[in-house]
Amino acid sequence: MIKVSKLCLVVLLTVWITTGCWNLKEPDQLAFSLGAGLDLLEDGQLQLSSQIVIPSGMGGQEGSIGKKNKTFRVVSATGRNVYDAVPNIQLQLPRSLFIGQRRIILIGQRLAEHGIDDLFDEFIRNPQSEMRSRIYVVKDADAKDILAATPIFESYSSTELVDKQEAIGLKSYYFRNFLSDALRPSLQPILPALSLSASKQTVYSGSAIFNKNDGLKLIGFLNTQEAAYANWITGRQKRLVVTSFVKRGQGTVSLKLHTLDRRIRVKIVNHEIKIEVRLKGKGTLVENNSNLNPTKENDLRIIQVELSRITQKSVQQLIEKVQKQYKTDIFGFGESVHRHYPSQWKALKKNWYATFPGLDVKVKVELQCSDPGEANSSIKIIP
Amino acid sequence: MNITSQKEDNDMDIGSNIIENEKTFKTVFQDCSDVVFRDITIHGETRILLIYVDGMINSDIITANLLKPLIYDGLLQGLGTIDSVAQMCAQQLFPVLSTKKLSNFEQIAEFILKGNVAILADGEETVLLADVSNFKTRSPEEPFNEASIRGSKEGFTESLRINTAMLRRIAATPKLKLESMTIGELTKTDIVITYIEGIVSMPVLVEVREKLKGIHIDKILESGYIEESIEDTHLSPFPQMMVTERPDVVGAGLLEGKVAILTDGDPCVLIVPTTFWEGLLAHDDYYERFLFVSMIRWVRFIFAFFSVLFPSIYIVLTNYHIEMVPLELMMTIASLRERSPFPTVIEVFMMEFVFEGLREAGIRLPKQIGPLVSIVGALIIGEAAVQAGIVSAPIVIVVAAAGISSFIIPRFRFGYALRILRFPLLILSGTFGLFGLGIGMMAILIHLIHLSPFGTPYLTPVAPQIARKFTHLILRRPRKRVIETS
Repeated sequence: MIKVSKLCLVVLLTVWITTGCWNLKEPDQLAFSLGAGLDLLEDGQLQLSSQIVIPSGMGGQEGSIGKKNKTFRVVSATGRNVYDAVPNIQLQLPRSLFIGQRRIILIGQRLAEHGIDDLFDEFIRNPQSEMRSRIYVVKDADAKDILAATPIFESYSSTELVDKQEAIGLKSYYFRNFLSDALRPSLQPILPALSLSASKQTVYSGSAIFNKNDGLKLIGFLNTQEAAYANWITGRQKRLVVTSFVKRGQGTVSLKLHTLDRRIRVKIVNHEIKIEVRLKGKGTLVENNSNLNPTKENDLRIIQVELSRITQKSVQQLIEKVQKQYKTDIFGFGESVHRHYPSQWKALKKNWYATFPGLDVKVKVELQCSDPGEANSSIKIIP
Repeated sequence: MNITSQKEDNDMDIGSNIIENEKTFKTVFQDCSDVVFRDITIHGETRILLIYVDGMINSDIITANLLKPLIYDGLLQGLGTIDSVAQMCAQQLFPVLSTKKLSNFEQIAEFILKGNVAILADGEETVLLADVSNFKTRSPEEPFNEASIRGSKEGFTESLRINTAMLRRIAATPKLKLESMTIGELTKTDIVITYIEGIVSMPVLVEVREKLKGIHIDKILESGYIEESIEDTHLSPFPQMMVTERPDVVGAGLLEGKVAILTDGDPCVLIVPTTFWEGLLAHDDYYERFLFVSMIRWVRFIFAFFSVLFPSIYIVLTNYHIEMVPLELMMTIASLRERSPFPTVIEVFMMEFVFEGLREAGIRLPKQIGPLVSIVGALIIGEAAVQAGIVSAPIVIVVAAAGISSFIIPRFRFGYALRILRFPLLILSGTFGLFGLGIGMMAILIHLIHLSPFGTPYLTPVAPQIARKFTHLILRRPRKRVIETS
């Protein structure tokens, strides 16, 4: 027993001393990178920007009142590929770069337009890489500028961008989700987009559409409303507010939807694919400027039907726009066809890119107001 | 007189000459100022000698029942023939419960030293020994380190007889057996093995008997001497016997088929065999209502693991697996670490060391200055060390949390084991990270599975799993309700 334990101790000691594979790293020996930004410079070089935390700027216990220290700094370097830039970033840092806590990946518009399919290998292959980073496309700006933007609440803009997804009603969309979307044959990936406002604040500005048949190039943007509908169809939207003018009530009505449901039905009749998109939403009536009384069943029905009709119209328009303008299946209709008709899909797969723009898509929207709010008819000053 | 001849004397039986006998006893008890030789002569002819240890006997009994009648009235007459003065004393004078007649010097001396009075009469070759022992003992109080909210407030005392009486009161059955034996060449300490016949596990009982018989030691001052002599291995940090000062705990153990060993002069009773899980159970568990107890048990289980692992996990996470810590927490830790000059492992070691020192100081200090330790400890270690930048604040939290959680363990001695194990795990996790911590945990588990004191696997009923007992462990099941029958 004692002999064995002595032997174990000796073996452990030799392993410890001789191999030198001691990967102990104190937090104060590391430069935490919270966000990575990728840009294409005008001379065609790839620029990697990294948001580096300055822990002492957090002001752990004392001195948090008074002057505010800088909590992060953005460091950039160029390289031929992503990791080629990392040593160049390291040259500017006195501590070793640690990317295990990376929260966001930003892609500049110019780079996105150039195609991003040859960028992601490093993010997957590097064992240190964090697959749960959120990913954004930067519209009309450089990723570096977004990283350098001053955060409103938190110490780092990266963590704010993570929370932003939840705040605007999107489901968490990680880098790994993007990867699986990009690698699936029957779906085109879309990414949330950010832009920089005049006051240097980051603003969510819809979605970026990519075409993976052509090197994952950015081919266009959807505005926030369109992006919300697109995300509803793909099941990535959690909440949504629908506002529209109700003719019979002579006023606008807002419905805050908190339960969103979608169903895509596929029918192949005489080699013709018919797709029916059914969207269901349940929510609370939060504003009513019409003269209808939502506590009355009849009036409520009028509101619901009207809102559904208008939403249906917008969704229909969006689908047509994507079909005509971008010609990429961002809604995952191919996925549904694959599920419903697996045998036919094998033949359809190759030509899906060509088939998609001509698909017959019907949209049915059914909005339900489960709560008419705290008041009955609209509060209006009676003349 | 040299030692060898004295030994010979001791082995001898007493003779009929009282003067010779007195001389021998005086040699045996040479320089023992507490041994009193009192001789009386009745009617100027019969000589009686009393030998006893002053302070250990109830002198009232002797004066009232022996000295007064004999000196005032002389020998009783007309009560039929009496063989000897000794027999007369035993049968007619002495209203005490336990008397015996002996003739061997050594045995007599031993009984005298245990609080008997020896009565020697001239011309008789036997000595009457009467148990009139009456030494001062502590009255049963609530055990200081085994307090309970509900249940009996009495604890064992230093007196073996009072202790056995308490057990007898709990289990008023002739099946409760109390086997006596004496261990210790010099101390001659009385030991009692108790068990309940019919319930006790025979192999355990046989092993305990054999092991106790095999002890050859000159002194037993505390039950720890016995524990160390009969435990399976000295090298395990885990206690292989339960030690308690509570009669109800011993009673519960006996009713579960265990064997208890009582030592004279020590309120701590050993219970064998014990298991790992029993260290995490408290006696109140069986008195309180089961829902609460089940919850609190889980709290205890979790804190027990926490007390061993928390510092190691902290080191592993902050030094090897930084990506596993939530970002905000990691940044706070990183910012607090900015100023500390030592590596985290050294910091934790330093703080653990100081904590153990403080704890030890708290035990040894008199009660009046006890609180001082906590004030100095809390202020200096908690505040000043952090502010001075010697250690970082999270380390103080980690060490304090682990320390406090080791106090949650009801059986204090199991806490010792967990506290010792913290240090090797710290070294392993500081050098090999999660891998080292894993190896350390595996080693502990292998050791625990390997350990089976008195033939009972230490992890019963988890490994080997005994389903019924297992559920009883993780959720104390309530006892069956009595259903009224009309």
